[in-house]
Amino acid sequence: MDRGVLMAPAGSPPAGGFSAAMAGLEAFSDAEVMVRVKAGDQSAFDYLVQKYRRPLVGFMYRMARNAAAAEDLAQEVFLRVYRARETYEPSAKFATWLYRIATNLAVNHARDTRHERAEVTVSLDEPDEETGTTFELPDGGLTAEQALVRRERLLAIRGKVEALPERQRLAVIMHKYQQMGYKQIAEVLKLSESATKSLLFRAYETLREQLKEFI
Amino acid sequence: MTCDEVRDKMPDVAAGLIAATGEESKHLASCDACAGKLAEFRQTMALLDEWQAPEPSPYFDVCLQARLREEMAKPQAGWLQWFRRPVLAAALTVLMGVGIGLFFNHGRGRYNSGPNQAMADNFGPVEPGTAVSDLQALEKNHELYADFELLDDLQVQDDVTANP
Repeated sequence: MDRGVLMAPAGSPPAGGFSAAMAGLEAFSDAEVMVRVKAGDQSAFDYLVQKYRRPLVGFMYRMARNAAAAEDLAQEVFLRVYRARETYEPSAKFATWLYRIATNLAVNHARDTRHERAEVTVSLDEPDEETGTTFELPDGGLTAEQALVRRERLLAIRGKVEALPERQRLAVIMHKYQQMGYKQIAEVLKLSESATKSLLFRAYETLREQLKEFI
Repeated sequence: MTCDEVRDKMPDVAAGLIAATGEESKHLASCDACAGKLAEFRQTMALLDEWQAPEPSPYFDVCLQARLREEMAKPQAGWLQWFRRPVLAAALTVLMGVGIGLFFNHGRGRYNSGPNQAMADNFGPVEPGTAVSDLQALEKNHELYADFELLDDLQVQDDVTANP
């Protein structure tokens, strides 16, 4: 069996781009690539990891509000995909299946940690709890006050998206940040397409209303 | 085209996922309410764009690699895996119970009809001094041996009362 890039011995170049073995897989649909994973092709699995690692970490980051937890959850999604490879049936779009796994994990994580969440605060001296980044010194023409306003706006956006009801939040994150269409979101959330449209419209209306002061 | 039809597609149009069709553009040009709503949606979308997610860290691939290796090192699920499924384990227990019950009922039926006779029928005359003949002797003299056991018990009780 081809051990692939992720299974390469220590000291080899890190997985961050497509190897020659993976390059040929671009011609196949993700479901077809997953069928190859099922047949034991490790490089096919590496291809899917490379393709979805960034969007999945982004999705988990916006759901978990914590970069470390987001990476851990995204890894768990890939592990679950790997464990389920032998029972995989290409009946649905691969991305839909992947995001369904990710959604279940993210929702469970959010429920498990809802009491642990600290109040969102802004401090100039301490690093941000969620991102681990420190307050940026003004550069690029931004004054300290402008940078602080920008940061407050960012925290407000995050806070308002997070305050949405669970399904609306999931729908907005998938639609706005994962660029997923109504049909696919509907399949992930197991809703009808019209219900998804209505869900998204309500969510954006709420966000528009609550973020009015920043527009 | 109605306002509801245009508003259905507004999130997609505002997010830039699709472009407004000719009919939708016509409606937007003639309906101030829908045009205003779309402009507000676009502003909201632009605001939401500011919330960027971080890139996966360099440790992401290393950690995933380690977790996958661990996953691969796990032993393949063998027949013992069966017992880790509570429902299947419970079903197996019930089946075993039923099987044992049936076996003993069947056995009892055979003994009731005379095991020695059945043995003799099946295997012919039994030679004395063999295990089979010993078992037959035990079977025939069961009541006598039971009396011996009773006497043994009485003997023990006597000993106890004699040596308190």
